[in-house]
Amino acid sequence: MTLAALLLRRFSLRHWRLAPGQNAMLVFILALGVGVFVAIRLANRAAVASFSNFTDVLVGQSDWIIEPPDGTLPESVLPELRAALGDRPVTIIPVVEATGSAGNSIYTVLGLDLVGVSNLETAKFEQDKSLEAAAGFWSDLRPMPRIWVGPRAARRRYLSLVIGETPCVLPVAGVIPGVPDGPPPPEDLVVMDLPALQRITGRVGRLDRVEFVIAAGPQADARREELGALLTKLGADGERWSVRTPGARRETAAKMTAAFRLNLTILSLIALLVGLYLIFQALDGAVVRRRGEIAILRSLGVEERTIRAVWLLEAAALGLVGGAVGLGLGWAGAQGAVRAVGQTFNALYFTTTVQTASLDLGDAGLALLLGVAASVVAGWWPAREAAATPPAQILGRSVAAGPGLWRSPLVGVAAFAAGLVLTRLPALRLASGVRFPLAGYAAALAWILGGGIGFAAGLTLLSRPGRWLARHSGGARIANGHLAHPSGRHRLAIAALLCAVGMSAGMAILVASFEHTVRLWVARSLQADLYISSAGARSAAADVPIPSSTWRRLAAYPGVGQAWILATFPLQLGPGAPTLLSGTDLGMTQTHANLPWVEEPRSGEVFDPRRNAGLALVSESFSDRFQRHRGDQLSFPTPSGIQTVTVAGVYADYGNERGAILVQEQQLAAWMRDDSATHVSLFVRPGVSAETLRVYLRRDFPGLAVLTQASLRDHILRVFRQTFTITYALEVIGVVVAVAGLALAMASVLLDRRDELTTLRALGFSRGEIAWASSLEGLAVALWAILGGLLLSLALGWILIRVINKQSFGWTLSFDLPRLQLAILALAVAATGWAVSYGVGLWGANLPADQEE
Amino acid sequence: MPPPDAAPSLSEAPLLKVEGVGKSYGLRAVLAEVCLTVGAGERLALTGPSGSGKTTLLNCIGGVDRPDTGAIFLEDSRIDRLDNAALARVRRERIGTIFQFFHLLPTLTVAENVELPLQLLRVPLAARTERVRALLERVGLTARSAALPSQLSGGEQQRVAIARALVHRPTLLLADEPTGNLDSANGGKILALLREMTDEARPALVLVTHSEAAAAICHRRLHLRDGRIVAET
Repeated sequence: MTLAALLLRRFSLRHWRLAPGQNAMLVFILALGVGVFVAIRLANRAAVASFSNFTDVLVGQSDWIIEPPDGTLPESVLPELRAALGDRPVTIIPVVEATGSAGNSIYTVLGLDLVGVSNLETAKFEQDKSLEAAAGFWSDLRPMPRIWVGPRAARRRYLSLVIGETPCVLPVAGVIPGVPDGPPPPEDLVVMDLPALQRITGRVGRLDRVEFVIAAGPQADARREELGALLTKLGADGERWSVRTPGARRETAAKMTAAFRLNLTILSLIALLVGLYLIFQALDGAVVRRRGEIAILRSLGVEERTIRAVWLLEAAALGLVGGAVGLGLGWAGAQGAVRAVGQTFNALYFTTTVQTASLDLGDAGLALLLGVAASVVAGWWPAREAAATPPAQILGRSVAAGPGLWRSPLVGVAAFAAGLVLTRLPALRLASGVRFPLAGYAAALAWILGGGIGFAAGLTLLSRPGRWLARHSGGARIANGHLAHPSGRHRLAIAALLCAVGMSAGMAILVASFEHTVRLWVARSLQADLYISSAGARSAAADVPIPSSTWRRLAAYPGVGQAWILATFPLQLGPGAPTLLSGTDLGMTQTHANLPWVEEPRSGEVFDPRRNAGLALVSESFSDRFQRHRGDQLSFPTPSGIQTVTVAGVYADYGNERGAILVQEQQLAAWMRDDSATHVSLFVRPGVSAETLRVYLRRDFPGLAVLTQASLRDHILRVFRQTFTITYALEVIGVVVAVAGLALAMASVLLDRRDELTTLRALGFSRGEIAWASSLEGLAVALWAILGGLLLSLALGWILIRVINKQSFGWTLSFDLPRLQLAILALAVAATGWAVSYGVGLWGANLPADQEE
Repeated sequence: MPPPDAAPSLSEAPLLKVEGVGKSYGLRAVLAEVCLTVGAGERLALTGPSGSGKTTLLNCIGGVDRPDTGAIFLEDSRIDRLDNAALARVRRERIGTIFQFFHLLPTLTVAENVELPLQLLRVPLAARTERVRALLERVGLTARSAALPSQLSGGEQQRVAIARALVHRPTLLLADEPTGNLDSANGGKILALLREMTDEARPALVLVTHSEAAAAICHRRLHLRDGRIVAET
């Protein structure tokens, strides 16, 4: 056994056994930091993975997929493709995909040529005979197509779904046959015959995509290459359709959500960052307490490097245990986080139905590595201090801790100045096209560090007003004495708590500002009385059409004064660059929507249907993503060819992050050869009650969701809040870690002061009075950190809103201060800080004078 | 060092009575069947080699440790059976303690250290200020009243500790090697001060020491070995 291992076993581990509570707390703090990171990582990955093709479950992975650059493909391409492929051993699978809702559950509904798919070895759609034999009641439902579902849903005899605008009661025919040795079919997948889904969704004769599966064989690779080239040629190099591999959909989803996931990942590191302070503080405290022991070892001839190695090994062991516990916490947390991430994806990007997240060996390794790395980084300075302990310093028991850096407010000011410079730098463009506000994050980090150092150095200022209280209470006198002469431990506790409060409050400011902006936007944009969309469109990004026959009936419905339609089609502006192409009556956007302008049109031409051909408005996200501004030209593919428009203005839109091009509705209908709508807004005639009209419309159009202005506002704000659910959770965890850290810091401070505790007891201080003194000290530390944290949060809020959010998502937000929320945060931190310090004080009051730790 | 005055009469009930006190740490007996009494105004020295149980006995008398067996009476109260809160009250009202390593609170000034016991007793500010001023004058540290302990010499720190131990006029003063961390010149000055001040305030003093000079200021001396009193002089 090496000397380092011997020392680790005989000294470090025995110290751990002497103070199991504190070490458990340290492991918990580290585990929470690692766990949050792992949870977000797993949830992000699961959500992105859910964008893989559902057809993979049925047929294994396709070799190629063709998709139109806009809208849908005509079914007439199928005979053309069959003829072009000749006798090649390729199965052609036409696909229509839709979203269906049943209560709060969302299903992906896949329409496939079941006979064709059944010819593949992998997929056999067979009727479940037990279901077939069910009561004659089901024969009444025969007009409805049968569906195949996941194993759990197959226990039911039918499924009530709203697909598009059509409510359907669909008899369950059996369980979706999965690929042999492949994953089981997901519970949120519904399969039906292609023509049936085309009928239900109003897409008769249209396809969303066509997939191709090459028969296995020795020449499969060569055939795949040949087929890819042939399909590209037939698609006229992307004009009729684009050819992609099955993985491309996932890659697109990953690209689209990269900025969001990156931001979430960074947010998930709050707890770990706060934890770093605390581990540093705890290990540094251990150096101070064990200084006598280290000095003895040094005097016995143990080399500096061995002491340093033992200390780093102890930190690594702590990291390993924390990482392992964090892995478990992370996996458990991911199961909850994945739903929250999914909600955000639904609100901002694509429909996802992901429910669970899984863990692999790589994640386990990463969690352990993160725990060890964080712990070793935090333990580096204490290890250096331990190694530098001179052999003669046996009796020293200093309360000063941490590098001298912590004591200089000038360092804090310098870090703050550096952050200010960094906020002026532009975002980094990653290879994937994602803009990453690296300088913005670096600025935030510099301000967090600067704030921690600068504010911690000013704790003595609190002792001045504390003198008055000190005259009236012995406990206050003790607490105030320590505030007047704070230790390094106090400074680190303040820095950690300030970091947590600052980041949490900064996020709260961002969310409040976002909500405030969205409220203003909603108030300006929602002027109609009733809003109508397909009941099956459960995602903000879903584009389930309402046929023109339906919206024309709506427009002519008794009591309706005016109908205003919005049609939206997905559009690809290059690989991995999806956006939306929308059409509406642009004139009404001027008279009824009151759009908030980022770049206002220079003339009213764009609002005049007689003159606005070739003009478009674009959303701010679009403008930022594709760098198009007022006056720029813009080309995009449509079923009737490439169209070019001039950007007349840029408006703020917080509905989705993909961005949108908005043109006159008649022009869009002509381009897309489709006059369906996705949303219809109705203005009721004077004297007609919107609520009454809503009731009638619900009766006559059961497949449509009809919302009043007030309920749509509520719905938008509810979706908005759902989007930020996970950020609230991350904020709370960060604060919990920091408060646990305050408890640890106070315990450490009391351990450093065992002599003082002995004296206080001898002077007649009761346990309660010692705890009272400790709680006052802890409260003062918490209050100072809260004050600093709130000031820091103003700066961080500004960076998040004006730099990071703008560079990541392209949204301009107004600044709003959530006073009540910040007050609650401050009170909660102060109260818990006071309470944990009181508890630690009670514990400290019982510490025997001669106990080592 | 002049010899002590004659011991105060013990015809009255003793101020402190220790009856058959025993204390063990694990299997190791530290005190066994210790009995002693101390009268009001009497100074008693506890001497003995290291590990003989002197400090443990002092801690039991001071209520910061509890005996396993036996009883300890201070004036009319049996203190070894009191709960923690009541023991704390006894210490703050009736006991003063002087430590070998001074144990001044490092973040409080000299005056604040001395004032602290009075604050615990909720003595009004004006009375506290006056009492502290008088005591600091008595120990010769008026000029250093705003200094922190780290700015004082060892002798000065122990004078502050004596002032703090006597400021609330305790009936029992406990001193654990009060000169053990001082050079002989400073030690002599501290002993003289301790003697003068206990003569003035008349608390009973139990002094644990290895030092002959320190034991010499006491009226009586008990010698401990292996947790038992083996001699009284």
